[in-house]
Amino acid sequence: MILKYVWGILTEPRVAWARIREEDCSVFETYIGTIIPLALISPVAGFIGTTQFGWQIGAGKPVTLTAGSAAQISIAYFGAILVSVFVIAMLVRWMSETYGDQKSLARCVALAAYTAVPMFLVGVFQIYPVLWINFLFGLPALAFSVYLLYSGVPIMMEIPVERGFLFATAVLAVGLVALVGLLASTVVLWSYGLGPAFMSG
Amino acid sequence: MTSSDTYNYKVVKQFAVMTVVWGVVGMLVGVIIAAQMAWPVLNFDIPWLTFGRLRPLHTNAVVFAFGGCALFATSYYVVQRTCGVGLISDKLAAFTFWGWQLIIVSAAITLPLGITSSKEYAELEWPIDILITVVWVAYAVVFFGTMFKRKVQHIYVANWFFGAFILTIALLHVVNSAALPVTMWKSYSAYAGVQDAMVQWWYGHNAVGFFLTAGFLGIMYYFIPKQAERPVYSYRLSVVHFWALAFTYIWAGPHHLHYTALPDWTQSLGMVFSLILLAPSWGGMINGIMTLSGAWEKLRTDPILKFLIVSVSFYGMSTFEGPMMSIKTVNALSHYTDWTIGHVHSGALGWVGFISIGAMYYLIPRLFNRELYSVKLVETHFWVATIGIVLYITAMWISGIMQGLMWRAVNPDGTLTYSFVESVQAMHPYYIVRFLGGLLYLGGMLMMAYNIARTIMGPSTVKQTAPSAA
Repeated sequence: MILKYVWGILTEPRVAWARIREEDCSVFETYIGTIIPLALISPVAGFIGTTQFGWQIGAGKPVTLTAGSAAQISIAYFGAILVSVFVIAMLVRWMSETYGDQKSLARCVALAAYTAVPMFLVGVFQIYPVLWINFLFGLPALAFSVYLLYSGVPIMMEIPVERGFLFATAVLAVGLVALVGLLASTVVLWSYGLGPAFMSG
Repeated sequence: MTSSDTYNYKVVKQFAVMTVVWGVVGMLVGVIIAAQMAWPVLNFDIPWLTFGRLRPLHTNAVVFAFGGCALFATSYYVVQRTCGVGLISDKLAAFTFWGWQLIIVSAAITLPLGITSSKEYAELEWPIDILITVVWVAYAVVFFGTMFKRKVQHIYVANWFFGAFILTIALLHVVNSAALPVTMWKSYSAYAGVQDAMVQWWYGHNAVGFFLTAGFLGIMYYFIPKQAERPVYSYRLSVVHFWALAFTYIWAGPHHLHYTALPDWTQSLGMVFSLILLAPSWGGMINGIMTLSGAWEKLRTDPILKFLIVSVSFYGMSTFEGPMMSIKTVNALSHYTDWTIGHVHSGALGWVGFISIGAMYYLIPRLFNRELYSVKLVETHFWVATIGIVLYITAMWISGIMQGLMWRAVNPDGTLTYSFVESVQAMHPYYIVRFLGGLLYLGGMLMMAYNIARTIMGPSTVKQTAPSAA
């Protein structure tokens, strides 16, 4: 069933985590049922936002992108989300050896996917692209995701809570490093001419 | 250990208590200037309350007063415990304490008055610089003198880091502060033009590398194994990354001067060494994390361990971010923006702040033979401070990248898309978030001050047993 645990993970995270573990979906099922539908939110909202309304920075007039350029970015963005979830899942699986038994890749993919649920959902605000509003809604979503990570790791990895704290912190540190790496490589690529095309005027 | 009764804990206690006091003061000034960035009216048109004068006061207070006292306290403690001997001279140690406090107070008076050499992180004028040199030489004599009369043949790795920190800071301070005095409170740098800039950032970056990194790695290598009650994960790694760090850091300064009048090859050299620096930095992080990882079952009852593990995580994150930002293409966007401020604070609040806080929570109850007043309050401090850092860093990332993009946006006819003041206006919401983040961090620090004060005032737990070695 599509989007089965999304509501549960937001309202009763611990119960939902346990059910997700019991159900034991395959990597493919998690991607089809959860990750792909949720990962579409941000790029679609972003496409509409950047082409119809334009990003508004401060008091300046909105910056709109051409439909072609916005489509390219949205598709790349969608692809990047799908790949990132998988990469994080691989890292979790790799680190799970240090912090307990190694778990199946499917388990790790589910952990990465459901942790990101608040972040996926808050992407809808990109339809109204005023940066500080996105920041305002993004921050609580980020905090919620961090909470889901800390509550989910011990349940999904079947390890004691204290050990889970260390594991989750390690995942968070890796995530932060990946974020900074992504930031830096975007800046480099942008500078070499792979930036978006703006609507003139 | 027969010599244990001669350990000088008095000077360690003094520095440890002042660490907490200056931490509160320095962070309070930080919160005030953060509020001024969001609401400039808070200057009240009083010259000594303006951002330009309070900002150096903030940096000096947190780096040299808070960080400095933490380093004095921990290095005096560690060198005695790991060498099995008391300090070589109690008088000289007392001189370093009172001398260092005098320097801090003079900074707190001269900087708001606008008396400054204008060198970043070395703003103090020449009479204070001379006092710093005298106190620092005394510090070196006490530290190395104690090490030379040690009863244990082996020199524990924490002492190597403390030693490198003391030696390098002496060298950096003397070379960078060389100046020609014209009056009692005004001097001119001995260097001119781009040489002056290069000397300044050779100093500036190594103040980060040796004051805020090597010294605090010394803290890490003693207090993490102690609190976790486990040996260092890899002693060999600690020695290898010590030498790698010492040889690499000293070359990284030019990355502060990308796209300036500094010769291009020097900039590239600085960038390459900054990238290489990732390896020794992560050597330290891996060693810290792996040492702590074995102590997971203690986490339930021990919030101090949480401070230590998050501290090392932030060390790993900011030492990854640093090399990224030293890449010239990235720097072209990030330089002079709030991204830099966010980067500095993930290192300062996350790494330096948390490891010092963790070390003080370990040290102070033991020095005073007291039970920590409230472990629960330490836990609250941890969460409040962590949320504060996250707010601070995310706000600065976004505002920094926005600034970078807005400043270099050009219209098809080559004119600038945004005026500077438009970028200032766009920063407003993030400056409020940054202020809130800082306020939370300060709030945590106040909890610590209360907790420590109640601990010291509480009943003694002394059991009349001789302290054990190491």
